[in-house]
Amino acid sequence: MKVLKKGDFLVIVTVAVAFVLSIALLFSFSKQGSRVVIKQNNKIVYNQSINKNNEFDTGTNVIVIKNGVVFMKNATCKNQICVKTGEISKKGESIVCLPNKVIVEIK
Amino acid sequence: MFAKQGNSGNKVNIKRLTLYALLTAVCLIIGYLESLLSITLIAVAPGVKLGLSNAVVLTLICTNDTKGAYLVNVIRICLSALLFGSPISFVLSLSGGITATFIAHILSRSKSVSAIGISIASAVTHNVFQLVAAVFIVGFGVLYYLPVLILLGAVCGAFCGILAQLVLKHSKNFKV
Repeated sequence: MKVLKKGDFLVIVTVAVAFVLSIALLFSFSKQGSRVVIKQNNKIVYNQSINKNNEFDTGTNVIVIKNGVVFMKNATCKNQICVKTGEISKKGESIVCLPNKVIVEIK
Repeated sequence: MFAKQGNSGNKVNIKRLTLYALLTAVCLIIGYLESLLSITLIAVAPGVKLGLSNAVVLTLICTNDTKGAYLVNVIRICLSALLFGSPISFVLSLSGGITATFIAHILSRSKSVSAIGISIASAVTHNVFQLVAAVFIVGFGVLYYLPVLILLGAVCGAFCGILAQLVLKHSKNFKV
């Protein structure tokens, strides 16, 4: 018995194309960023140059901007996904903390 | 096979009812165990889960019980949101879950797609639509995850598909 049928390859090819397209989409955005924008509850609470070293506390999350890279130092949320995201520096990259509704974007 | 039994009269098919309840319970337990496992996966990609409970729903779809698949999936999502989740995780998994089941439903009508193909397609759809819902909640920044989610969706989907195919092969008594 054949494990994969004809339609399966069609599915795999479609997924592969979608994957390549999404990477292309990503790379078209991945220029070195210039500004750091921090939003909390959809309101902009911080908007400054990425080259300015700073530490910003939203009350729930502490974001560090140092030597052109941005990372979440600590957060009060349970899953700590935002802290584990690590450093971001390119345009379009972001760190998201869903539980605290904090989003750090580079523009 | 079952559809004829289910439509005969207004009597509820007790066997089916029990099967759905059992499968929903299995989904919830798998989902919980998975969330423990995913803590180690966070280092690779934040928030990624294997989606093993989709293998259960997939098994239902492959036995031509799409109604049951929608039912089990929606109940599973509601219950797991009540037990372990938050309103946001509920919206995310509901948008992903329903679209994924819909794609699986459509593909299952085609004879040339096996359980593995259906699983890959529905897992990727699940991840993409979850991301679409996340865009509405947190903004376009999350689109950054799209390639990672497509790739991991395909891998996890293939895994679940193989699992479902094995279950289908070895359980001839599954058709109640």
